[in-house]
Order: sequence, then structure tokens, then C-alpha cells
Amino acid sequence: MPIFDQGYQHWKGHLSGHGWRWLAIARHGVRIGLQGRVFRIVLLVSLLPALVLATVLSIWSLIERKSDLVGPIVQFLSSMQILSPTVAADPRQYRLEVWTLCYNYFFSTELTLSMILIVLVGPNLISQDLRFNALPLYLSRPLRRIDYLGGKLGVIGAFLGLAIIVPCLVTYALGLLFSLDVTIVRDTYRLLLASVAYGLVIIVCSGMLILALSSLSRNSRYVALFWVSIWIVGGLASTILEGVYYGQVAASQMSRPPEMPRGRDARRRMTPADLEKQQNWAEDFQTRMAEASKTDWRPLISYTSNLSRIGRELLGTDAAWRKLSELQPAQMRGRVVASNAGPLYPWYWSAGVLAGLFVISVCVLSLSVRSLDRLR
Amino acid sequence: MLFQFEGVTKTYGRVVALDNLSVSAPTGAIGLLGPNGSGKTTMIRSLLGLTRVDRGSGQVLGMDFRRRQLDIRRSVGFVPEDECLFPHVVGVEFVTYAGELVGMSTKDAMQRAHEVLDYVGLGEARYRKAESYSTGMKQRLKLASAIVHDPKLLIMDEPTNGMDPRGREELLELSRDLVRNKGMSLLFSSHLLPDVESVCDQIIVLGRGKLLTEGNIQQLKQLHNRTFEVRLKGEGRPFAESLSGLGCVAKMRDDALLVEIPEGRTQQMLWEAAAQQQVQIRTLREQRSTLEEVFLKALGQG
Repeated sequence: MPIFDQGYQHWKGHLSGHGWRWLAIARHGVRIGLQGRVFRIVLLVSLLPALVLATVLSIWSLIERKSDLVGPIVQFLSSMQILSPTVAADPRQYRLEVWTLCYNYFFSTELTLSMILIVLVGPNLISQDLRFNALPLYLSRPLRRIDYLGGKLGVIGAFLGLAIIVPCLVTYALGLLFSLDVTIVRDTYRLLLASVAYGLVIIVCSGMLILALSSLSRNSRYVALFWVSIWIVGGLASTILEGVYYGQVAASQMSRPPEMPRGRDARRRMTPADLEKQQNWAEDFQTRMAEASKTDWRPLISYTSNLSRIGRELLGTDAAWRKLSELQPAQMRGRVVASNAGPLYPWYWSAGVLAGLFVISVCVLSLSVRSLDRLR
Repeated sequence: MLFQFEGVTKTYGRVVALDNLSVSAPTGAIGLLGPNGSGKTTMIRSLLGLTRVDRGSGQVLGMDFRRRQLDIRRSVGFVPEDECLFPHVVGVEFVTYAGELVGMSTKDAMQRAHEVLDYVGLGEARYRKAESYSTGMKQRLKLASAIVHDPKLLIMDEPTNGMDPRGREELLELSRDLVRNKGMSLLFSSHLLPDVESVCDQIIVLGRGKLLTEGNIQQLKQLHNRTFEVRLKGEGRPFAESLSGLGCVAKMRDDALLVEIPEGRTQQMLWEAAAQQQVQIRTLREQRSTLEEVFLKALGQG
């Protein structure tokens, strides 16, 4: 008689409820995703902007406290005219604006890195299941299609969450710790909520889009190419069309730039009247371009521009630039806002484009990831 | 009762896959037979709640298959017919993942994966990529992932398709062991009648979505009390000729003689004829239908 029967043994363990089944798929996808060396490197690189953000926010918190530790930094920034004397005198008054712009720069860097992370991990998610005919294995288990898709979206969510949302929360906490001032929560809690919301918008919109693309082909290389073309080709097309559009606007609405002295000592030969003429022309140019950008639909072609526009609206970046522009002379303010804030078309145009793509993604997924209720 | 269908109808457009099907199956090993397009796969999908039936009701393991699909799939293991794999995983990860999808914790699923891989004979290949497995190994891997959570009912759809004889026999042996020694119920769908016969006690025969016959295989293979299978020592042909002279219908089948005796006579006449012809009867038994005959007869009646 054997001491231990190595044959089949019954199992009397506990099975978890149906609600968490998507988590198993997400966990598995994360494990598979982390097996790629290039992906792991990019994931680590994507954490670097968070380090920069944390450093900047910590320094700003010390500046607010007028700490001696950052004295040389304040001096350096003031000498470089980065930190205006008004701000240096009362930094708390500009806390929200500085935090907003820091988060805005962080998100614009992370948006690019997110696109790279998605192109590395996203194309395999469904296309490989289609290639290896894994859907019958999934759907014959206690899973619904929504669990399957939720799990796959969870993979994107886990990686982008790690690169975007977690750093937002951690850096916020660090900024809070370095400032030792609870009023910071009162001033910036909306920014924290907006950052999380924007992170979720990026995850859900781009996650659904890459899943839909991934379900269209059994070859993940084609999916990756498709994603890159949406991201890069769309961006390039948008930039070129915008260039053409603004060229046309300038040609039709603007007079030629005023004649100015030329040559080596041109600047010395300029009269105050010349300078004023030039400034007025530049101001007029910026105003007209800003006006034209309010009805410019061309940025909508770029996927990342749409996400950025939503991000700017959520974070309140334009308002922050407007407040900071007040530190400049009156005639310079418009130019500061126009050159730093992005296109001024209504944010809901971008929301509409993203919502449309979301609906299309849902339709594609519901057609591609079909249940087994059909004839072969 | 393992499962029960009451007037189940399922159509795909104009195609009637299940036509007012009523059938019930006791626990044990059930063979599901039928030609292509007879509704076997639709029946399996209905059992698993993967397909929404147009009419009718039914239960699987006491659960309504129209309402408790997820609970049913938790209690059932399914080995699909198609070649299907979770991509980019080694054998043990494959089975672990299958367990996690059913709701097992990762630790339990991993431990259990090692056990069932040993059981199906893939212990040595557990750290190899599943894509590199042979057809037979893939089938055993699918079996391992279907039984990882110790289901009450195992459904195997054409499990021996495309397998070499040795792999096929190993898979059948595993199926038999699960049913006979481990108390698992089995629904075994196959075209290969010897496979069904070697594993199952009961069969359900479908044709054009209807039930053609069902029951215990031994009972269906009815006795023919006027036809005998006779094996002789030596040449059988002269004996067959002499029996024909006595009013019997005798014909050779393989190495035996099938003899149908006239109405009102008993097997005693065979002994007497053998004595007269001075041939030695080694075996004499009443003939039973083969499963193939049962199947063909059911199809003919359908």
C-alpha cells in the first residue's frame, strides 16, 4: 500500500466570488507584461518624471517655508528671472499655480511615456488570445465577457496607474510633508482629485482603444503599428495642418511686420517708436492667433492633443498661466498666456472625440470578442 | 441527476441545433454520440450556460442552466474540442491560471496545478512552454486545467481527436480513472465509438437536434437470442455449410461463425450438428449488438 497516493486527490478549498474574477486576468497580464526586459526598463524610466516632480514640489515647499536649505536655489532662480520677486516675497500666494504647472509638465511627459508603455504591452493583450484561440478557455469558465475585458483593461490600468496615478499621490504626500502646512490640502486637494481623474481618463480612453485595436488582428505587430500611427502620424498630421491653418490666418488677417532697421547694430538704431510698433504688431499677432485657435479643429486629429486638452481643463492649467501672467507687464500678459497655454478650442470637442473613440472601441470589442453563442 | 433538459430548443437563424430536446442523465460516465451537426456541441454549450436557449428549461447538477450559468461553470470542468491555449506560459502557469480563473487563490491553484500535472503525466514538462507541447500533451494539459478545481462534472468534447494511439489510450485511461476511482461524472462527446464504449456506461445519441436514443450501453447492446457466435477448432466453412442444410443462416465474421437458428429450435441443434460433423466448439454465446450497430440503428430510426 503506497504511503502517499500521487494520483488524483480531491480538493476542498474555497473559491472566491464572481466579482473578483477580472482581477485574476489582470494579475496574469501584469505577470506576462513584466517578463519583457524592454518594457521593464521603460516602466522604470516612466518613474523618473515622478522623481523630478517630487523634487520640485519638495523644493517649493521649502521655499514656502523660507528654509535656509533652499536659499541658494532661490537666489539662482531669481537671478535667472525664473522666480519673480513678487513670488519670492510671498510664495504661498502662488502655491496652487506652481503646483498646477508642475503637475501639468509631469502629465505631458507621462503622456508620451504612457503611449510607449501601451505600445509595448497593449497589442498582445487580446490579439495573442485570438491567435492561440484562448477565448473558449476563458469563456467556458465562470467569467463573463465584461470580466474578460475588465481584466485586460486592468493590465493597462495597473501599468499606467503605476506610472501616473501612484506618483501623483506619492509626490502630493511628499509636498505636504515638506511644507508642514495643512493649508496646502485646502489649496490643492482639487488638483489632487483632478490629477487622479485625468490619470483615469488616460487609462480608460487609451486602454479601451488599444484593446479594440488588439482585438482586430491576431498579429500584435500590426496592432503596434496601428497604435503608433494613431499616436505619431495623427500628431504629425495635426501639427502640419495647424501650421498651414495659422499661416493662412496670418496671411489673410495680418499686415506685414513693420519695417525695422537691419544690420549688425540694428537694435541700437531702433527708436522707441520702432520698438512700440514691433511690440504692438507682435501683440496683435498673438491675439489673432489665440482668437483663431478658439475655432481650430485640427488638434482634434492628434490623439494625445485631445488627452492634453482634457488634462488642461481638469488641472486648471490655463487659469494658472493667467494668474502668473499678471506678474508680467500688461502688454506682455496676453503673449505669456498664448505662448504657454495650448490651443483654446472648447475642451468638450476633445471630450467628444474621446467619447466617440470609446464608443467605437466598445462596439469593436463586442464584435471581436464574441461569446460562444454562435455556430462555428 | 447529473443534468436534465425539458423541451429545449435552440436555433441559429434557420438552423435548428436543438429541437425540443428532453433528456436526463444520471451521475456517472455519459457518452454523447451523434453525427456532425447533430447538436452535441450546442448541447454542451447549453449545459455550460454559454448559449441562450430559445425555449425549454433544465438543470445541471441541480442548478437552473438559464439562471445560474456562472455557478454551473464553477462546478464543471470543460475540455474544449479546439486547440486552444493561454499564450506565453509554461505548463504549470497554464494550469495555475485556469485555477485562478475559477476562483482559486494563487497559492492553492499553484499547489493543485503541480498535483494535477503529475496526475496527467506532464510532471516532467511542467516548466516547458505550452506552445511547444505535442497534440497529446496539449490535450492532457487541457484536461489538467479542467480538473484543477476538482469539478463534480467533467465535459470532454472530442478529446481524442488527432491523437496517436498511445496518447489516446493514455487519455482514455485517465478519463476512466477519474470516473471509476475518483467519483467524477463525465460527459464524453466523441465520434469514436470504441472510445465512448471504453469509458462510458451510458450513452445519449443525438440526431438533428433530437434525442434518438439514450440508456445503459450494456442494455442497449441487446441480446439476439436466435443468433449465436460460434468459434470452432479448425476450419469453420464445412460446418457452416452443414448448418445451412439444417435451415440455419450461417456466415463468417472475422474468425467466428455467426449462426441464426430457425424459429422454435434451441442451441442444442448446434451441439448436435457439431457432433455429427466431428468438429469441436470452443465458444458458443448469444450474440450482442455492437455499439456501432446500436448507433446506426438509432440514426436509422431518427
